[in-house]
Amino acid sequence: MTNILETRGLTKRFGGLTAVDSVDFSVATGSITSLIGPNGAGKTTFFNTVTGLYTPTSGTIAFAGRSLVGLKPHEVTAAGIGRTFQNIRLFGNMTAVENVMVGMHSRMHANVLGILVHSARVQHEEATARAKAHALLDAVGLPAQRADDLSKNLPYGDQRRLEIARALATDPQLLLLDEPTAGMNPHETAELTQLIRRIRDERAITILLIEHDMKLVMEISESITVLDRGAKIAAGLPKDIRSNEQVIEAYLGRGAASMAHANARNTGEPT
Amino acid sequence: MQIRIRTSMIGAAFGFAIALISGGFAGIFAGLVAGLISGYVVPQAEPLTDKRRAVGQGMIAALVGSVMTILGIVLRNMGIDPIIGEPLNILAVGIAIIGATILCVLVCVVMCVVRTEPPARERIGMAIVVGIILVTYPWLDQFLNLRFMNEVIPVLVFLLMALGLNIVVGYAGLLDLGYAAFFAIGAYAAAMVSSPHFGLSLSFWLAIWVAAATAAIFGLILGSPTLPLRGDYLAIVTLGFGEIVPIAIKNLDKVSLSIWNYPLFVDVDLTGGTKGINPINRPWLPIIGEFSPSNPIPWYFLILGIMLISIFFISRLRNSRLGRAWTALREDELAAGAMGINTVNVKLLAFAIGATFSGLAGAFYGAYISAIFPESFRFDVSVMLLCMVILGGLGNMSGVILGGIIIQFADRLFLPQMSNVVQKLIVASGNESLRDINFASDFRLLLFGLTLVLMMVLRPQGLVPSNGAPRVLPVAAGEARHD
Ligand SMILES: Nc1ncnc2c1ncn2[C@@H]1O[C@H](COP(=O)(O)OP(=O)(O)OP(=O)(O)O)[C@@H](O)[C@H]1O
Ligand SMILES: [Mg+2]
Repeated sequence: MTNILETRGLTKRFGGLTAVDSVDFSVATGSITSLIGPNGAGKTTFFNTVTGLYTPTSGTIAFAGRSLVGLKPHEVTAAGIGRTFQNIRLFGNMTAVENVMVGMHSRMHANVLGILVHSARVQHEEATARAKAHALLDAVGLPAQRADDLSKNLPYGDQRRLEIARALATDPQLLLLDEPTAGMNPHETAELTQLIRRIRDERAITILLIEHDMKLVMEISESITVLDRGAKIAAGLPKDIRSNEQVIEAYLGRGAASMAHANARNTGEPT
Repeated sequence: MQIRIRTSMIGAAFGFAIALISGGFAGIFAGLVAGLISGYVVPQAEPLTDKRRAVGQGMIAALVGSVMTILGIVLRNMGIDPIIGEPLNILAVGIAIIGATILCVLVCVVMCVVRTEPPARERIGMAIVVGIILVTYPWLDQFLNLRFMNEVIPVLVFLLMALGLNIVVGYAGLLDLGYAAFFAIGAYAAAMVSSPHFGLSLSFWLAIWVAAATAAIFGLILGSPTLPLRGDYLAIVTLGFGEIVPIAIKNLDKVSLSIWNYPLFVDVDLTGGTKGINPINRPWLPIIGEFSPSNPIPWYFLILGIMLISIFFISRLRNSRLGRAWTALREDELAAGAMGINTVNVKLLAFAIGATFSGLAGAFYGAYISAIFPESFRFDVSVMLLCMVILGGLGNMSGVILGGIIIQFADRLFLPQMSNVVQKLIVASGNESLRDINFASDFRLLLFGLTLVLMMVLRPQGLVPSNGAPRVLPVAAGEARHD
């Protein structure tokens, strides 16, 4: 089995704070992998470093055999990594369809001249993109009658779905989801779990997921990596992570570890 | 109902003001303007689908519009004219009132009804109504003895620039306070190649392309250092460019260049310094011949044509991959990058394409007045343009046009005419101490500012709010989040 993403000694410092601390991390091609850890552990910073929003202080990032260090965010997207944001970052004054079409930017070719003369190629590309955008909205379960609503007017759950549709529109090989179920009710969370599975199964897109909902993580992941204070403290199968003392300690603080340990055995969850 | 009347008041206020300020048959034109604006704004505020309801709505709006216009006509003819010593002609007043009412109702109702059509036919219908008015305007002007024509042409020049600025500020969200610089650059580029200044004397039809290309290149050059900047910082740097360009132009009249000690050229006069460049070639067309300064009609159709073509191409850009990238950039630059948009390229394209339209406007303007001076492109031009873009509704082309027309007419027609009337009233009242006040120049900026403040308080979303345009200037968008 090959790894689609591999980091070696990846480090990101902000002044004196080491948000990501020499992390060796790999995501197996075709897997659903989760990245967990307490608040402030450096999960989002890890995503931002991989996607080119931050330049790593040191370390390497290899994606499908190619180094991503020094690439701009749009180049990382073109290379095949799509992402969503922890705090929804849709283009609020654009419609749902337009948001998705923006995601296709790097897969489209229209240039200024073609647009001005309205060439047959540009018209065809535009029509295809629009149709594909509607199909993607349908795939993530956004109601069809909402397609032309401004994204800022969509209900919260639909905004989360739209972010996923927009990320899928970049035609990624690897999809990074940063807490996609944050703020959702159990019913919506269950639907989203199905959606994530379907994306991997039907589109063969590898998924890397940051999530606080342990039930979801344990249920869906084939592999879990745990960060604490920037450093990787554990990686392995869900059943191993569940009973890992260091992980429990990280979540609940020392002292509480032994008690929680017993607890976790009973409930099957470290929190 | 209450909202409907308030919306109709925008058009009605225009009818009233025009009728009051310009006497005589201008009242008829006032009615037309009131009808046109109401017919546009009212269905915008409340979408119409049913024909009979549309007629009703149009009638109500037109009624408000004509009543206010008639009020203006009556006040002018019975209140002001007797004081300033113009003879009262009851027949003329009657004709003005009837003409104003008919035109107001006709235009307003037709426009409301057209709005109920499906989008494709609606667009054609609107184009026909507006087209008829635009094409017949020069003869209407003569027939009604309006004498607005010499002001209408610069208004259209400014509108063209406002549309270009709207690409930069409204679409891409880049607050540019020095946009008038590209107007100057376009005007000078055209003037240099199309005048005896360098002995080149190219035809206007070639010079205008030189101007567009030069402005675009300077858009790239001036845009590139601003790439990492956002919000307030961007505004300050562009403000600097807006100041530097006219000063540079003023001082480029003795340029020497030497490499090591070998002078390449000495004391070359690039721009004519404070004297400017004069004369500049005028356009020439078969049948019409050379456009003459005494006949504004060919100039009117030329700038109108340039504007319509620009609108056509700008809307194509707007509804394209590039237009979406601009909007995404404005909404959230970081997310735009993460969605695969090369933000550097897209920003530079906004600056370059925006500047192109200003360059075209500059080339036309230079040929029209046949001379060009560094003083024509000061900071207040940039501010004026920005106000035009904001007033009507940021990011929305028809809003920008309406806002632009309002500000330009207030500045070029309304205030001077009003000042004229007030002057005559003062003379008639015999108050010697007030005699030397020139309202147009002394109070111009005050009244201008006051209008803007009032607008922003009463209708902060702009006259024609578009769904999908930002409600605020992009200044506050400077903060960066990364999660
Ligand atoms: N741009 C930045 N500048 C300075 N410090 C930062 C920056 N981004 C993150 N940090 C710090 O880095 C640490 C890791 O933050 P990060 O957002 O990556 O955590 P997280 O694991 O995503 O947490 P959460 O579960 O709350 O989202 C925190 O202490 C945070 O304050
Ligand atoms: Mg986070």
